[in-house]
Amino acid sequence: MTGQAEHPDPAAFAGLSYLVIDDFDNFRNAMFQILRNCGAEKIELVASAKAAVHYCTYNHVDVVLCDYNLGAGKNGQQILEELRYRKLLKRSSLFLMVTAETSRDMVMGARENLPDGYLTKPINQAIVEKRLGNLIEQRRALLPINQAIDQENYPEAITRSLQALTLHPRYSTWLMKTLGDLYFRVGDLSHAIRIYDDVLSRRELPWARLGRSRILLAQQHYDTAIADLEQLIAANPDFMEAYDLLAEGLKHQGLTSRAQDLLLQAVSRSPHAIVRQKQLARLAEINQDPATAADAWRQVVAQGKNSIHDCSQHHLAFAQSLAELCDSAGNAEATTLASEALSVLSRMEKRFAGEPELGLRSLLAQCRVHAGAGQIQTAEELLNSVRGELEHPDTMTPDTGLDFARTLFRLGDHETAKKLLATLAELHSDKAEVLEAIENLLDEPVGFREKLQARSLNQSGIAAFEQGDLEDAAKAFRDALAVVPDHKALNLNLVQVLLKAYQQSPDKHTLLQECQGCMSRLADIPRHHRQYRRYIALQNRLKDVMP
Amino acid sequence: MTDDRQDRPDNQPIDFSMVLASAVHDMKNSLGLLLNSLDSLREEHEQSLAASSRFNTVQYEAERMHNDLVQLLGIYRLGENNLSAHMEEHYVPDFLAEHLARHTPLLQGLGIQYSIDSADINGYFDEDLLTGVLNNTINNAIRYTSTRIRLSADKRDDYLVLTVEDDGEGYPEAMQQAETQTFKSLDFKTGSTSLGLFFASSVAKLHREGERTGTIKLHNGGSFGGGVFEIWLP
Repeated sequence: MTGQAEHPDPAAFAGLSYLVIDDFDNFRNAMFQILRNCGAEKIELVASAKAAVHYCTYNHVDVVLCDYNLGAGKNGQQILEELRYRKLLKRSSLFLMVTAETSRDMVMGARENLPDGYLTKPINQAIVEKRLGNLIEQRRALLPINQAIDQENYPEAITRSLQALTLHPRYSTWLMKTLGDLYFRVGDLSHAIRIYDDVLSRRELPWARLGRSRILLAQQHYDTAIADLEQLIAANPDFMEAYDLLAEGLKHQGLTSRAQDLLLQAVSRSPHAIVRQKQLARLAEINQDPATAADAWRQVVAQGKNSIHDCSQHHLAFAQSLAELCDSAGNAEATTLASEALSVLSRMEKRFAGEPELGLRSLLAQCRVHAGAGQIQTAEELLNSVRGELEHPDTMTPDTGLDFARTLFRLGDHETAKKLLATLAELHSDKAEVLEAIENLLDEPVGFREKLQARSLNQSGIAAFEQGDLEDAAKAFRDALAVVPDHKALNLNLVQVLLKAYQQSPDKHTLLQECQGCMSRLADIPRHHRQYRRYIALQNRLKDVMP
Repeated sequence: MTDDRQDRPDNQPIDFSMVLASAVHDMKNSLGLLLNSLDSLREEHEQSLAASSRFNTVQYEAERMHNDLVQLLGIYRLGENNLSAHMEEHYVPDFLAEHLARHTPLLQGLGIQYSIDSADINGYFDEDLLTGVLNNTINNAIRYTSTRIRLSADKRDDYLVLTVEDDGEGYPEAMQQAETQTFKSLDFKTGSTSLGLFFASSVAKLHREGERTGTIKLHNGGSFGGGVFEIWLP
């Protein structure tokens, strides 16, 4: 090709159908002309995300050329997510993102659903011919594999990929990535890890290290996976998927505050990722950090506006985190937070109108928001207006039931709350996660501030215990139990300290009496409780030392 | 355009380099749109514009500014330690052809011959970073060549070597030590050329494999007897 543009094979472009999405008609028309010149025949032009999704609902499209920035409404990435999520676009179809800037800022946000390629503006005929021509050729070569994946026939896709490795070595990266992913999907972890090891033996490549770590996590080799991922992030600080996977690993190991710190780093680099923000919000909730949770939920709700991932749960969780913040805020601040929460809820009711239980859940959340802002009377009135629902807890989903109990606790009606939780535990005795949530609520049926106080006392108790200062440790646990007397882990912590103290001074029998007091508070601990085995172990130790 | 503006408390000092970076970002996008329009104009008025030297100058200079801004942003991110190489495997002949394609209207307008001569190989590099380097180098070659430019790729000493050659007068002696470019040695009086080389050399260094790092080499001669730019990637 010397001195003139190489002409594409018009036949390759001709048989396919194209969709161009761009809000500027200049650009749409220019792209139409370029595609025409390349030999394309079936070309549809649309100006908006809505029109694009609508078109894909009723028409088969082989190649989508989508501008990333479409003004108000969905952006290109959100269109891609929706098309793939709703299976309106097959894997065997190509999605090209057209961007005005270097792609990385935006790609970084995406976790899955990456486009097949990028076209960076300025775009001319020669670029489209080359870039799209190459992708169409790749599509043709890999079509049997993608068709098998579309049909969810993964074994077939694996066989085809293995064949293609020798037939089309130039696509080896794509093929190895796909193979690793396919083996993982069918649960063949040992073959998957062999694929990644094969790649890594030739070169240290981030995607292969990530894939290998995912397999290690699935094989429950948490420590190795965590160490590898930490190294990967140190070498590639903008490899966002590595943060997500490492956070999963840390969470699995109970290292939730490290996981939270990590995701905070990740969202500061790449804030536009609703799934990551949601993960961060959940971790912050586990870590009792409502300020971080509220910030993350705020992002989730804002980014959800145009996203297929949006749902009413996000709005409820956001309002809930704001209500908790209210509990610990000063008057002026609480009023601001409360009004934000109430407007989130009212927007939710409009946006998701018609969803079952939505009105009830919104109302319960409003109760807690008002209570947090000190408007107890308003809160009471709202709660009384729905007390009738308590007559038939069997019609409530567990989430709503828990919400109801939380609200009753918040407004001081402990008796009704406990009764409701007992009923719920019976109704959902086969659902471990519901039972766990019920027990957590029973452990700490107090406001956020008290909960935090008890937790911080618990932590200083543990620290004192580790330093061998048994007296301080016991005092901290006793103080914490004054706040949440039924807390199971706390009671057992105190027992453990007291038993150790008794070892050192076997004449102090009052220590043992106090232990028995703690144990009797746990007499009704259910067998599946996380602390059950520890309870039994400590009970046996106590029996052994009893005179 | 994404808009990440945040309210800044009044008492905080202005981070000027960040202000500059976002202004550069904005200008770069504007130039992108401008270049787009130039391409369309050229197509619409092929007869009258194809050989217009003034039109070619407009396009060349706009392209040059666009490259400079891309590099400025790259260097800003280097300074923020925000830039790392995303190593992926690429089929080199396609990569070179796709990048030359961007310049073909201008090359044809200027009557410059161009060719690609690449071994049938895959290479490992960061596509975005290399795009910046290649665009700038091709743009420079367009400026300094007499009649033709050539892109080539091959494997040497287990490095992937991408080469851009022209048949112009070649690089001045002083610039041929370009692999030792540091930011301090940048002389802004000489224009953007050294900015481009500094960027290219930084990008090369971001490419590491084991103990080896990438580098750039400039010399004269090659197959056309003009300037030869090489980027060596491990």
